[in-house]
This record gives sequence, structure tokens and C-alpha cells, in this order.
Amino acid sequence: MPLRGIRYWRVLPFLGLIFALLLTSPQAQALKFPRSVDAVNDFAEVISPDYEARMNQLSKTLWDQTGTALVVATFQDLGGESPDEFANRLYEAWGIGKRGEEKGILILVALKEKRIRIETGYGVEGILPDAKVGGIMDQYIIPFLRQGEFGEGLLNGMVALSQVVAKDAGVELDLDRYASKPAVQPKVKKGLPILSLLFLLFIVFGLLGRGMGFFPLFFFPFLFMGGGVRGMSGGFGGFSGGFGGFGGGMSGGGGATRGF
Amino acid sequence: MGRGTKVALIIVAVVLALVLGFYSYIKGTYNELVTLDEGVKASWAQVENQLQRRMDLIPNYVETVKGYARHEKEVFLKVTEARAKVAGAGSISKKIAANNELTATLGRLLLVVERYPALKANQNFIRLQDELAGTENRIAVERRRYNEAVRSYNVRIRKFPTIILAGIFGFTRAPFFEVPEEAKEPPKVKF
Repeated sequence: MPLRGIRYWRVLPFLGLIFALLLTSPQAQALKFPRSVDAVNDFAEVISPDYEARMNQLSKTLWDQTGTALVVATFQDLGGESPDEFANRLYEAWGIGKRGEEKGILILVALKEKRIRIETGYGVEGILPDAKVGGIMDQYIIPFLRQGEFGEGLLNGMVALSQVVAKDAGVELDLDRYASKPAVQPKVKKGLPILSLLFLLFIVFGLLGRGMGFFPLFFFPFLFMGGGVRGMSGGFGGFSGGFGGFGGGMSGGGGATRGF
Repeated sequence: MGRGTKVALIIVAVVLALVLGFYSYIKGTYNELVTLDEGVKASWAQVENQLQRRMDLIPNYVETVKGYARHEKEVFLKVTEARAKVAGAGSISKKIAANNELTATLGRLLLVVERYPALKANQNFIRLQDELAGTENRIAVERRRYNEAVRSYNVRIRKFPTIILAGIFGFTRAPFFEVPEEAKEPPKVKF
């Protein structure tokens, strides 16, 4: 009986720590921005799963083939911030593209503000000057957004942007299958469940291992958490076979903004 | 070993430890100040790149607007003057002031543009407009990063006891790139 009592006491601090971790981890991120889920982050829920799957697939292909991260984020509203500044800060918070190469593109949609911004990272400014980005929006995206077809418009724009990137990288991408045919691929698995699973595993191991002298194992999740939002999504991209385009990239504010 | 030698040795050791500690403090602080100072300079260079980019865009932009709004001579003259002032500015503070003036006159030009629908539909103008808007945004971004660098540098050199070292080695405060209130608001239309 006394042994049992001791075990309880040994577990309690862990529970406390776990709760503390769960409570503090959102703050450890880039303050008010939600964590990136995948290449497509449809927080406003305006893209159908079918389109979302195709968009994610396209982004993953583009990232694998050219090392350029093409990321989409939709928001219900931006809380009073200008789309230009919001996009730039979000870009930096998520760290789109690989640090040092800075090849990344962020497509930001703000529903309430009725604005779309395409922010280009330092590394793609040369192949995607602002005027070209503006032209792509006018031609491929805006007409669809005006009719509320967010999936079609955004996918269309992504294909147009991918064409430019692929051409510059000298890569042949089969882009037709994204634009015309309906999706056949299953939805790309998101990194989050796997992450939580790993996290749980670590905790279980930590708890089990404590008695057996594997105590340090428990601290593994902390090590990963310490990396912040960038390390998280980038580091676990490999596990889920998903999109790994969050590598600490930066943007200098290039790109264009439109109303729709 | 005599008592005197022992005391002398202890004193020497203490003095040596003090000198070493002092040296490493100065070294650490000085190197930190150099790093911060270089950070400010590097981010200012980024700001200047974008300011120059805007300077290069303006003549083309003005020419295109002129094609549709020939009689708005006053605005064109103001923009050209402000641009010339930027080109002639020497110190960082003067460059900041001159560029703020240019931003204000460009705001007035944008207001003129609003009155010419045919111009706004012109493909060449749309492209230039995108480039100019993109450049303004780049300036805003680099300005923000510059100001952040300046803030951490200024805070560091003004704190005690760093302020003494900063004084000795000649680290002076860097100017913020402040945007005047009137430049943030849309310019008023004169009747």
C-alpha cells in the first residue's frame, strides 16, 4: 500500500508539467498567429476538401521539385490589421521557405476585408515581380473569388504561380491534372495527429522509463517544443510525408494586394 | 615562504582576477555593441535599397500619369522636386526627412490618379502601380526591421554601465525612421 501511494505522488508532478506545457505552448508561438497546419491553411473554411487536397498535393510537389514553398492561408478577418503587414508578419512567423534561400510564396485571403495578398519571399522576387503577381491575381484568381469560388480561384492561381517557379527551376511539372481533372488522390494527411501521437508516446515512455532509469526520455518533447513553431512543422514534415516548406524563410514585403 | 610573500601573492592574484574580469567585461560589451551597430547598418542598407528602388520607379510612373493627366502640372513638379531633394540628402536623418516628404507628395499624386478612370484601366499603369505599391510595402517592412534594430541598439547603449563604454568608444544613438502623422493619413484634397 505505501508503495502505491508513492507512485501516485510521482505521477502528479508530471501531470502538472503536461498541463503547464499544454497551457503555455500556444504562447510560445508567434503570438497571435495560429500554427500552420499544412501548405493550405483554410482557417476561414472556404475551400472544399477536394480542392484542399489538390492544393496541398500541388504545394508538396512544387516543394519537392523546386524547393519553393507555396503556402495558402485564409482568415475570417485580420483583426483590424492591414493585409500587407499581416501577410509579412505571418510569413515570418511561419518561416515559409528554407532559411538562406527564402524561396516562398504566401497567398493570404481575408474574408471580411475582401482582400487577397500574395507575398513573395526574397528568393522569388526576381522571377515574380510585383506586377507579375498582380497580373496573375487579376487574370486567374479574382474572377473566381468574386463569385465565391475560393477553391477554384486559389488553385488556379497556385497553378499559374507554380508554372513560373517550375519554368525558372527548369522542372517539368504535370500541372494539368491539378487544374482540370477532379482530384483522385486521397486527402494529404496532416502533420498534427502524428505529432500528438509522438508526443503521447514520449510521455508514456517517459512515465514508464522513469522507474527503469530512462528518465531523460521524458524531456524529449520539451526539446522539440523549444524549437518553436518553425522547427515543429519543418521537423515533423518527414514523419507525415507531408509538406516541409516551413524552414525559417523571410519576406521583404514584395508581392501585390487586391480587393475582390 | 614568508608572510609578506604570501600576502603579496594574494594581492597579485586578486588584481589579476580583477583585471581579467574587467577585460572580459569590456570585450563582451564592446563586441556586443559592434554586433548591434552592424545590425543597424545592415538594416539601414536594406531600407536604402528599397528607397532607391522607389526613386528609380518614379520617373516612369510620372510619365505614364502625365500621358493621361497632362494639366496636373503642380503635382508633377512637387514630386520631381521632392525626388531631387532625396537625391541630394546626405546624412541618415536628412534622408529620412526627404523621403518622408517624397512619400507625402506621392500620396498627392495617387489622389490625382483616382480622378482618371482611363488611366487606372491602362495595363502599363496597372503594372507600374503594382510595382510602386510593392515598393512602398517593402519600404514599410524594411523600415520596421530597421526601427527594431535601432531600438535594441539604442536601449543597449543607454543602459548603465554600458553607457560609459559606449561613450568612451563613441557609440552614439541611431535615428529612428519615423513616419510623420500626416503621411499615414490620406492627403486632403484642395479645392
